Amino acid sequence: MVDGNTAVLPGGSATRPGGAAAPRRRRRRSHRLVALAYVAPAGFVYLAFAIWPAIHTVLLSFLHWDGILPARWAGLANYTSVFTDSTLRPALWHAIVLILFFAVIPCALGLLMTALLQGGVRGMTAFRAIFFLPQVLPLVAVGITWRWLYNDDGLVNTALRAVGLGGITRAWLGDYHFALAALGLIGTWAMSGLCMTLFLAGVQRIDVALYEAVALDGGGAVRRLTAVTLPALRGEITIASVITTIAALASFDLVFVTTNGGPVNQTTVPGLLVYRLAFNESDIGRASALAVVLTAIVIAFVAAIRGLTRERP
Amino acid sequence: MPPVSKRRPSLAIGAVGMVLAVAACAGGNTQPAAPSSVSKDLATDQVTLTLAYTDDPPTKALIDAFHALHPTITITGQQTPFSDYIKSIKLSMASPTPPDIAEYNPGAMRSLVPAGLIYDLSSYERLYGWGTGFPASSLEVLKSNSTAKVYGTGGLYAVPGALSVLGVYYNKSLVRAAGITRPPVALDEFGQDLAAVKRTGKTPLSVGGLQVGGFQVWNALGNVLGDEKQYRDWVYGKPGATIQTDGAKQAAQRIVDWANAGYLPRSANATADSDAQANFVNGKSAYLITGNWAAATIAKSMGDNVGFFLLPAATTGDAPVASGASVAYSISARTKHPNEAAAFLDFMRSAQAATIQFDTGFMPVNNQTTVNATGVLADIATAFKTVVDANGIVPFPDFASPNMIDRLTAGVQGLLSKQTTPDQFLVSLQESWTQYHG
Repeated sequence: MVDGNTAVLPGGSATRPGGAAAPRRRRRRSHRLVALAYVAPAGFVYLAFAIWPAIHTVLLSFLHWDGILPARWAGLANYTSVFTDSTLRPALWHAIVLILFFAVIPCALGLLMTALLQGGVRGMTAFRAIFFLPQVLPLVAVGITWRWLYNDDGLVNTALRAVGLGGITRAWLGDYHFALAALGLIGTWAMSGLCMTLFLAGVQRIDVALYEAVALDGGGAVRRLTAVTLPALRGEITIASVITTIAALASFDLVFVTTNGGPVNQTTVPGLLVYRLAFNESDIGRASALAVVLTAIVIAFVAAIRGLTRERP
Repeated sequence: MPPVSKRRPSLAIGAVGMVLAVAACAGGNTQPAAPSSVSKDLATDQVTLTLAYTDDPPTKALIDAFHALHPTITITGQQTPFSDYIKSIKLSMASPTPPDIAEYNPGAMRSLVPAGLIYDLSSYERLYGWGTGFPASSLEVLKSNSTAKVYGTGGLYAVPGALSVLGVYYNKSLVRAAGITRPPVALDEFGQDLAAVKRTGKTPLSVGGLQVGGFQVWNALGNVLGDEKQYRDWVYGKPGATIQTDGAKQAAQRIVDWANAGYLPRSANATADSDAQANFVNGKSAYLITGNWAAATIAKSMGDNVGFFLLPAATTGDAPVASGASVAYSISARTKHPNEAAAFLDFMRSAQAATIQFDTGFMPVNNQTTVNATGVLADIATAFKTVVDANGIVPFPDFASPNMIDRLTAGVQGLLSKQTTPDQFLVSLQESWTQYHG
C-alpha cells in the first residue's frame, strides 16, 4: 500500500504549520478510494452473483414466465398460488421437522461431546477430524451412501437383525412413516461434527480458573456446564443454530438424492418444490415466488434464534 | 449435480436467479417457425453444423456415418449430461448463436415451438416422404399444435434418430427353477409366473419405485389393460380426454394386488432404477420391467441368461401395445443450413443408420431393415417389430404434462405403500393434466 500521500519524509508534514486540515481531508478521501478499490472486486462479484440475482428473483416472482416466451405481469398471482398450493404446507412442515434433526439434536450432541472431550483426551485431534469429516464430504455423496446403508439389506438393517430387532427392519427411506426421520438422521450425522468442532474451539477460550471456582463451591459436572460452559459458548451456539437451521429449511441436495420427496411426498421440502417448479414445470414466476417466501421464512427463523440467544442485560 | 447449495439460501436462490437473468434476454416470437427454400440439394462447398445432444450412443456414431456419406457436411457434436442438458438446452436454443441441430426433449423444449425457435419440419416431411421409413407412431408423438399443448397432430418438430420400447426382462435360470417353460402369452399367465417365482423364495419383480421404475410398471399394465386410443388421446392432451378409465384403474389395482401378494419387493419405494436393475442383474429377482436402453448393460452382465418379452396382452391374441420413446433431433430456426440439417434427419431412416442404431442398443427407426442380433437383443428386436407393425407404440405417460412425472412417481409409491387408492391416484394424475391442458 504505497501512495504519494503516505510517503512522508522524516520530520516533514507532521507539524506543518497552518493549512494542515485540507491535505488531511484529501488524504482521508484518497484512503477511502484506495479502500474501495480493494473491496471492489469482491464487492462486484457479490453484487453480480448474490445481490442482483436476489433482486431479480423478486422481480421475476411478479411475472408469468416460462423462460422463453415473453413474460406477462402477474401481480400477486404467483404468491396466491404458492400459498394456496396444497403441496407447500406439508413441505414447510417437513422442513420444520428437519430443524429438529439438523439443528436441535446436533447442537445437543455437540454440547455433550464437548463436555466429554473438554480438557483434552488422548487422540483429541483424531476425534475432531472424524466427527468433522461429514462436513468435508459433498452431501450428494453422503446421500447416496446413506441410501445404501438404509437399504433393505443395508448396514442399518443388518445391525438391527444382529441385535435381534429383525422384526422392525424395513427400507427406511421408502417407508411412509419413517422416511422423514430417516432422512433427518442423515442430517444429524452430518451436522453434529460441525457443532462439536465449533463448541470445542469455543471452550478453549474459557479460563480454567472459572471451573476451579465452581469446583471450590462444590459444583459438579452439570454445574460446570450450566454456570460456565454454556454462557461462554453463547456466540458459538448462536452460530451453530443459525447455520444448521438454515441447512434444514433450505435443504435440497440431500433430499434430492435420497428420496426426491418420496414416498408419496412424505419428504418434500420447499427447496425441492422450487427446483421442480423452475426446471420440471418451467414456471419461473411461481418458482421465484416460492424462493422469496422461503427466504423470508429463513430470515424469520434466524432472527428468532438470534433473539432467543441474545445476552440479556 | 443439483444446482442449489445447502447452507446459503441467498446464494442458492441467487443461482436460480442468474439462470433466469440470462434467460431474460431471449424471447419475442409467439408463432412457430417454418423453413423457406426447402430443398434436397445440398451445399457443394464445406458446411459445418453443430449438434447439441445428451444421448450417446447413438448420436456420435450416427454423426460419423453421416459425414462419411456426405464428406462436405461436417457435424460437430456437443454432448451435455442429461440433467444439465434439460436445464440448459432451452437457453442455448434461444441464444443468438444456437446449435443448428439439437436432441429433442419434450419437457425441456416444448416451449421452443410457440417461441418459433425450432422449425416445423412438415415441408421436409412432404419433400422426403418421411411417411415411409419412419414408423407412424414415432413421428406422431413429435407433432404438436402451434401452442405445443395438443400433441399427436399438427407441425412436426423433431425426427427420431433411434427408438426404444418398454418390456419385461427375465432371468432364464430363475424362471426355469420356478418351473416356467415359456414366456407368458396372457397377463394372467404372467401373474401365475410371478406366483411361481415367489414360491421358490425369490423376489419375482424388481421395481425402482424411488424413480421412474414404479410408474413404468403401471404404464406397462395400463397399455395391456386399457384402451389404446383413450390413453393416446390423454397423453396427447386432446380436449376432454381423461385417465380415469377402467383400464388405468385396473392397472393401478393390479399393482396393489401384486404388492399385497409379495410379488413386488417391500423396499421398492426406496429403490432407485439403477439399484433395481443391479438387483435383477445379480439374480435377486426374476423379472424387471424397463426399456431396451438397459439391454446393453444387462446383456453384458447376464449373457445368455436373460430374455425379453413384451408384457403380454390381457387376452391372448390382442394386438400388442407398449410404451416407447425416441432419441429425436430438432432443427434450430436460426440455422443457416436447414437443408443440410434436414438431410441429417433424413439419414436416420436409412439402412445404414438402422445398423448403427441397433448396434448401439436402440431399436432401428427403419424396421424393414434386417439386423443381425443374438440373445436378448434379438428378443427385443422381434418384440419391437410386432408392436411397430401393429402401430402399437404409445408414448410414456409423463409426456402428458410438465409435472406429471412427480404425480406418477408419488402416486405409484402411494399404491405400493397402500396409502393411496387407485381412484385417488388417477384423480391426482387428471388434476395435473387439467391444470395444463384444461
